[in-house]
Amino acid sequence: MNKLWWLLLTIVCLAGAGFLILKIFPDQRPNAAAPATAVNRIVSLAPNLTEILFALGLGEKVVAVSSDSDYPPEAANKNKVGTFWQPNTEAIIASKANLVITECFEQQKSVAVTLHRLGYRVLPLKIESIEAMLTAIKDIGDATGTQNRADKLDEDITNRLDNLRSKLAARNKVKVLWVVQTEPLRVAGTNTFLNELLELVGGENAIGPTIQQYPPLGTEELLACGAQAIIQSAMGVDNIPEQQQAAEKFWGRWPTLPAVRNNRIYVIDPDTTLRLGPRLCQGLDLVAHCLHPDMDGHE
Amino acid sequence: MSSIIEVTNVSFGYFPQGSILQDVSFDVKAGTFLSIAGPNGAGKTTLLNLLCGLLRPQAGSIMIEAARIQSYSPRRLAQKIAVVRQEFVPVFDFTVAEVVSMARTPYLGTFGFDGKIDREAVSQALEATDTAQFAMRPMKNLSGGERQRVFIARALAQNTVIMLLDEPTSFLDLKHQVHIYDLLKAAQLEKGKTIVAITHDINLAAQYCDEILLLTGRRPAKQRPGNDTENPASYFIGKAKDIFSPAQIEDVFGVRVFTGKVGNENFFIPLGRLAKDSGQANSS
Amino acid sequence: MTQVLTAKSLGIRITLCLAALAVVMCLCALMGSQKVSLRKVLTGPGSSPGENIDYEILVGIRLPRVILAALVGAALACSGVVLQAILRNPLADPYILGISSGAGLGAIAAVLSGATWSFWGGSPIAAFAFAGAIVTVWLVWLIGRAAGKSQITNLLLAGVVINAFLSAVIMFLTSIARSDQVHSTIFWLMGNITEKGPSALGVSAGCILAGTVGLFGVSHRLNILSLGEQEAKSLGVDTAKTQIVAFALAAFITAIAVSLSGLVGFVGLVVPHGVRLVCGPDHRHLLPISAIIGGAFLVAADTLARIIVAPAQLPVGVITAIAGGPFFLVLLARHSRKISWLK
Repeated sequence: MNKLWWLLLTIVCLAGAGFLILKIFPDQRPNAAAPATAVNRIVSLAPNLTEILFALGLGEKVVAVSSDSDYPPEAANKNKVGTFWQPNTEAIIASKANLVITECFEQQKSVAVTLHRLGYRVLPLKIESIEAMLTAIKDIGDATGTQNRADKLDEDITNRLDNLRSKLAARNKVKVLWVVQTEPLRVAGTNTFLNELLELVGGENAIGPTIQQYPPLGTEELLACGAQAIIQSAMGVDNIPEQQQAAEKFWGRWPTLPAVRNNRIYVIDPDTTLRLGPRLCQGLDLVAHCLHPDMDGHE
Repeated sequence: MSSIIEVTNVSFGYFPQGSILQDVSFDVKAGTFLSIAGPNGAGKTTLLNLLCGLLRPQAGSIMIEAARIQSYSPRRLAQKIAVVRQEFVPVFDFTVAEVVSMARTPYLGTFGFDGKIDREAVSQALEATDTAQFAMRPMKNLSGGERQRVFIARALAQNTVIMLLDEPTSFLDLKHQVHIYDLLKAAQLEKGKTIVAITHDINLAAQYCDEILLLTGRRPAKQRPGNDTENPASYFIGKAKDIFSPAQIEDVFGVRVFTGKVGNENFFIPLGRLAKDSGQANSS
Repeated sequence: MTQVLTAKSLGIRITLCLAALAVVMCLCALMGSQKVSLRKVLTGPGSSPGENIDYEILVGIRLPRVILAALVGAALACSGVVLQAILRNPLADPYILGISSGAGLGAIAAVLSGATWSFWGGSPIAAFAFAGAIVTVWLVWLIGRAAGKSQITNLLLAGVVINAFLSAVIMFLTSIARSDQVHSTIFWLMGNITEKGPSALGVSAGCILAGTVGLFGVSHRLNILSLGEQEAKSLGVDTAKTQIVAFALAAFITAIAVSLSGLVGFVGLVVPHGVRLVCGPDHRHLLPISAIIGGAFLVAADTLARIIVAPAQLPVGVITAIAGGPFFLVLLARHSRKISWLK
């Protein structure tokens, strides 16, 4: 029993010693609110962040991006620092950035922490809603000294969204089923970002609230939901026409569904079309036209 | 001679209602060789486990060197008692030397590094049991009999005053059966060890041991008031010539025996129904 | 294969292995997706970030990673040795008694709860995973003890049942999570070595080293314990206390390792076997050398994981499984020939 106490004591002492030593050499803590001095080498770790940077006219200053940053075309030619899900810290350091913009989920969070510890200026942004995107644009503007352009971009986006909303305000909501996976059949529930977008374009979710964000759907519920339009998330942008055909064939099994009867099946890639970036309005416009083909006729 | 093991009114049962041993009392004098015999299920192994402290008696007490067995720490008890059970192959690939060295554990420090004395004890034990030739071989490469000798070597290396053995010769050939009993007897006579061995071979037992403890496996019937029936004895202890008689053996073991004499000692051969010459042999 | 074990011969072996580990760590620190020049590193850190990127990469990114990989590898291998001894089962690994699913549950709970974390502090996933692991192991231990005599079997059964139950809960939680949360959880479950801060690294190093040293103190009794409960008791070993101490220490260092790096598989199963084939089953040898070799193994595996598909990275668990399997088969074949074929 004595030995156990000694062991416990050893652990506590070692831990204590560890803390003490680190107090003497504290982690570097540059102030996060450092002035925007010469921010001329920016690294972006997400495609939507890249788009925002380019929209703010900072394209020249972007030195490296995540591998899936494909828009605008100039971004695709920049140096790559790993994927969206696994950024490569070494490559980021090698690009000698003075501002690194990241997302806030676990993997990017830890990269951000490491970079910050090494003294780099990091801006982690949580963009999971339109609201958050507008705030993020402002934050980026503040960090890079382009506040005016940021405000203008925000205004622009807000106006276009309001425009869209007003156009569709008077119309009947279209019951939409947003399908994220066909085998097994899973749809976007009411507690998702896709749902938020759906409501913006004059649609309503064909299914009610569910415990899961992306609930699997059985045939019974499917037939009962009475969806008037089906939007299916595409897998990659390479072969949308083929995917469209395959989808129409898939849904042909249930001709009783209004959506299938009226052949209102749309395959859309939400990653590119509905990216939470400056092009969101265009994407929403596209979806709105799918749901309300005659919406412009009233103008 | 003082008693090194004192068993007083010990009872034990594995289930609440069962009782394997009831009210057993006997003493083992220091430096003697006790043999425990009896039919299967009579409680021999149970008694052995009680004697080495693995099981706790439900009634009664066991004293080792005049101190209660519970008062010994596992380490001190291991310095007094060594146990040899049925051989087995260890899960990990230990060699013969490593297994025998484990006997020195009760004397070693935390990290278990052995010293000269320990190595001496191990090599002596290996020599005595004729296992030195495969000291470096993994245990799983030996035959059952060879492994049994290794376990006996381990008990010898443990250098204790008491050795408890559970059928130490069950897998051995004739030569080694005798060899082991000679070994045990030598350990008793030369080093003064107390040997308690369970054995199925009543002849060998009779030849080597000083006393026999014969467990009959009979439970004394419950006493009913006013009932005078004699209780069958559950055990007998005494010299071999007193305990082993043809009638007693037939009664306890349930088998006919042919009795012969070698010098002053009797020997017994069990007679099966279909064995050769069984009709001609006469039990005397 | 077996020689007389003395304190001196063990000391020599351990020193040699430590030297090998140091060499491996240094070599691996110099390898990576970016070229790093040692000369520039030695000129020290720059006055502002971005000046001496070689230094930043080597000291800021690679060194902590290599140290972490060594620590996790050592903890898992050491713990694997101990569990194989306690359970008397060469197929045991550190996760067998519920640590994996307990830690996984903790991790996914942390991810789902979106627990508040200060940007510069430690990760809540690590804390939750550690807590989950410890609580689960404690539960399994209790169930194993309560169930009666044959403790080893009951421990194993309790571990299997709890693993299954918690895995079901993890599956359920995963099904209601958002996609990035799902991705984070799966990523964590696969086992990854990432860059941790010096405070987290220091504390973990202290704990794992203390735990390993403690286990070394028990390693002689593990030898005896592996013969069986009855035999061990007859040789004077307090089996209950030895089992509790060994199990608690092994569970502790495994929980720390898992909280840092997720569920890196194979190390705790293969390294003890490999070392046992070369050094013999004496735990006084086996334990420290397995710890060191486990560390070296994981450092090498992590380096491969970093390099193979650069600039992306594979989870280190993928490399340990792919590399560990065939490596072990070769070792087994080679050494089985030296032992005479048996029943």
